[in-house]
Amino acid sequence: MKGVLVKDFYIAKSNILVTIVSLVVLGLGLSFLLETSALLVLAPVASTTAAFISITSDAASKWNKNVVIMPISRNQIIGEKFLFYILLALLGMITALIPCVTLACFSADVMFHSLCLYGSIGISATLLAGGISLPCAYLFDPEKSQIVFMMSFLASTGIITGLVFFINLFISVKENILLAFNLVLIISVVWFFISYKITVKIYQKQDIT
Amino acid sequence: MTNALTISGLTKTYKDFILDHVSFAVPSGSIVGLIGENGAGKSTTINASLGLIQKEDGIISVLGKEKLDRDIKEQIGVVFDGSNYPEILSPQKLNRVMKNIYKSWDEQAYFRLLKQFSLPSDKQIKQFSKGMKMKLAITAAFSHHSKLLILDEATSGLDPVVRDDILDMLLDFVQDEEHSILVSSHITSDLEKIADYIVLIHKGKVIFSKPKDELTEQYGIIKCGAAQFDALDKSDIIVYRKMDYEWQILVSDREKMQKKYPKAMVVPATIDEIMLLYVKGEK
Repeated sequence: MKGVLVKDFYIAKSNILVTIVSLVVLGLGLSFLLETSALLVLAPVASTTAAFISITSDAASKWNKNVVIMPISRNQIIGEKFLFYILLALLGMITALIPCVTLACFSADVMFHSLCLYGSIGISATLLAGGISLPCAYLFDPEKSQIVFMMSFLASTGIITGLVFFINLFISVKENILLAFNLVLIISVVWFFISYKITVKIYQKQDIT
Repeated sequence: MTNALTISGLTKTYKDFILDHVSFAVPSGSIVGLIGENGAGKSTTINASLGLIQKEDGIISVLGKEKLDRDIKEQIGVVFDGSNYPEILSPQKLNRVMKNIYKSWDEQAYFRLLKQFSLPSDKQIKQFSKGMKMKLAITAAFSHHSKLLILDEATSGLDPVVRDDILDMLLDFVQDEEHSILVSSHITSDLEKIADYIVLIHKGKVIFSKPKDELTEQYGIIKCGAAQFDALDKSDIIVYRKMDYEWQILVSDREKMQKKYPKAMVVPATIDEIMLLYVKGEK
């Protein structure tokens, strides 16, 4: 699996670098307008675009045909893509924390509560979106899966809103906002895991030509 | 003699095509050439053998095992038509990827072959010509001590010099009795040079699987007119084809036929001619 992960990082390298620089610059720039920690909502979502660049590249080069005959199971091939997606999201989070920590050092108002809240929203949105778009990348052709990829981020915000309204039926979200979004995060993690299992099932029986 | 690859009763149905109970074997230490026109089922057979597509029926045994597990996959080298590697990678980066995938990856052999093929290790694959991409794919297939090499139209689109280099490499590869090759190709002249056995697939069915020497040394074509054709014993005819000015009849023993029909012109048959007669001829 390590080899495939190395391949994906090679493919996504330039995109990752651009994302990192953009997030740091955006974070520092945003600090004049709004809370820098809000960048944590955007960062993991933005950084996972590299996963789709690697999926598109795999399709264009017919790498999938090659990798299936290598000593890696289909299960591992899918596992690697999901792991790559998570690693990119974490990389985005860490990158977004750079301007937050930098500004905190210069006594700017960066609250730990806000970091947790926005981080939770960002990771939830990323996992929900990935849980929709990653299986579709193996179900549809590259063009359709790119559309699904873009739509998945819209869908994830809708799902989060829906979940928040649902949680609000049981506990007051205004008073327990961090708890509510942590519950959303847990649901997102479970959804991402289920999505991984579904993708493995799809890929196990898929003809690759 | 053991078989590196045994395919028995392989069946796969598509909307407009059926791979119909395909059976043949690749004996260890031999080169088997898979021939047939476009869409005959060569690639489908190879894809099913490699587990790329799900088979409906049949048994496929690779290096003695029916399940393509990690150990078996380590011992299979495959070259498709095209390099199938991400074009953004360079051969050097590809080495780093492959050594983390194959336990048996031989870095030294890889770089030696890159040098032998004059392939730059630091250039991106997208800057390579088609011939260079094929050489890279072959280099990778040779760099993990594979016992079975499968080439699907790997030499098509290459110039004769490069093809000749590759054919020499393939012949070197099977010097060791443990190594075997299954190669599908449209270029039957290449297979005439290197193959030990020829398998002809037509419309999803295996028409024959025979030693190449039997085809080139024993098979023949009787070229004659209509009257001579009518006089032939029909049991001698494998297939025949009516051309503009003559009849071409494929026979399995040209010397015997020459003795039986002394007035007939019986000429040796090339693999190409045999394939054409089977595909376009009548029974």
